[in-house]
Amino acid sequence: MNENTNFSQEVTKRARKSNPVNKGMRSKVTLRVITYIFAALILSLFLLALIPGIRYWNLDFFTQAPSNGMTSGGIFPALLGSILLTLLSLAIAIPLGMLLGIVLSEYNLEYIRFVVTILSGIPSVVYGLFGLGLFCITLGMRTSILAGALTLALMVLPVISSSVYETMYAIPRELREAAYALGARKSEVIFEMLVPSVKRSILTVSFVAAGRAIGETAPLILTAAVFYATNLPTSLLSPVMTLPTHLYFLSASYGKNARWMAQGTTSVLILFVIVVYTIAFAFRREKK
Amino acid sequence: MSDVIIEVKNFNAYYADKKAVKDANLKIEKNKITAIMGPSGCGKSTLLRSINRINDLVPEFRIEGEILFHDRNIYDRETDVYSLRRRIGMVFQRPTPFPMSIFDNIAYGLKLIGVTEKKEIKEKVRWSLEKAALWEEVKDELDKSALKLSGGQQQRLCIARAIAIEPEVILFDEPTSALDPVSTQKIEGLIEELAEEFTIIIVTHNIGQAARISDYTLFMYQGEIVEQNETTKILRNPTHEVTQQYLSGKIG
Repeated sequence: MNENTNFSQEVTKRARKSNPVNKGMRSKVTLRVITYIFAALILSLFLLALIPGIRYWNLDFFTQAPSNGMTSGGIFPALLGSILLTLLSLAIAIPLGMLLGIVLSEYNLEYIRFVVTILSGIPSVVYGLFGLGLFCITLGMRTSILAGALTLALMVLPVISSSVYETMYAIPRELREAAYALGARKSEVIFEMLVPSVKRSILTVSFVAAGRAIGETAPLILTAAVFYATNLPTSLLSPVMTLPTHLYFLSASYGKNARWMAQGTTSVLILFVIVVYTIAFAFRREKK
Repeated sequence: MSDVIIEVKNFNAYYADKKAVKDANLKIEKNKITAIMGPSGCGKSTLLRSINRINDLVPEFRIEGEILFHDRNIYDRETDVYSLRRRIGMVFQRPTPFPMSIFDNIAYGLKLIGVTEKKEIKEKVRWSLEKAALWEEVKDELDKSALKLSGGQQQRLCIARAIAIEPEVILFDEPTSALDPVSTQKIEGLIEELAEEFTIIIVTHNIGQAARISDYTLFMYQGEIVEQNETTKILRNPTHEVTQQYLSGKIG
């Protein structure tokens, strides 16, 4: 009996000694394999979508309007529309989002922060319907760049403000106190010390927001985009073509003959997103 | 005492209902170094942070009594707290460089007091860095981020930033407790030099530090000022039992 207990204790001891190492090794290997599998999946997704379209890229593809029922020509109007919409929406959303983020971090507004968090989770088509109702119909902007840009701005606003809030909030209290101790007023603490020290983060999130805005489809179908525009936009109240909606219309309503254009457009969109996020990522790394 | 610049009268400080400073009375003499000593939690930082009203930023902080600066109560309604803080500077426990260049760290304070001319800013940056014994180390890299400096250099930068706007008093809240011995020594030497031009109040729990640099010492315990006198007298002949216990390391 005694010997037995001793023996079993000995076994457990050995097991305890050897197991953790083995376990650690095994889980490390497993994790690594899982990581590689996911990385490969994501990479192949990217490449499968990106590569096939690239061969259709040429000067005409980027400078011509689509013609012959989307079977020839290029995507210039859609490219232009997307760029205009993205830039305009960011021009609206970045200052507003910054301001909102600053207000949220410097004043104790728990409930507004809660609302902003909810807003960032609302599906984009709901934003589209809201924009359609408010901007296009009630405010009489109809289907236009302006209505689309405002809708997109509303969508990316929570993204920007949450991120600005997080970075501002992470600035240690001592730093604020140090600025106040020099005799700074609240506005001088915020705009001359805090904001300059988070400007890199603001730049980063601007690029993230650009990546998000350029790919939005549903809200633009409802507020800004037409499937085919005979003329380039002449004012902010003109409707436009955009890359994602163009892609959607091509896939939904045109047959095999337009497939090449869809592939080419996809590649443009993906490349754009890759570039924008790479820039955002580079900024973030440099900060660290 | 000849030249009293700050006088604390019947001063009580609270965080919500917790009394942190109890009936404090003291006088601070001009161009002297006064050390506030005591175990942690004794209220010494609260007392210090009341002198430039930086504790106003702490929610639920409130006070009773008076703190006179040049015979005027700083807690009066008419007091402009921003100009008060310009005249009573502060250096914190942990170095607090702003995340910007060395130059901009100092220029920030200068812009606050309305110095806008570039030449003047440059001169003052140099003057304050020289005063803070940092100029030689950083003169070729003023555009470098202040965050890249070592801890001791950062603290000297914060001192330079504080003196650049030429306050009358500088409050030091345990300025060396986060630093290595060599940096500590440098900063202690610096504080002694600064006393020629500024009035200095330093909170420390380091007896040696108080002994090395201060002219007067207050000893605080559980929110009360137990004893105050010339530093040499307090260290040689502490009259109260708790001071003796603290100095001999029995409490702390």
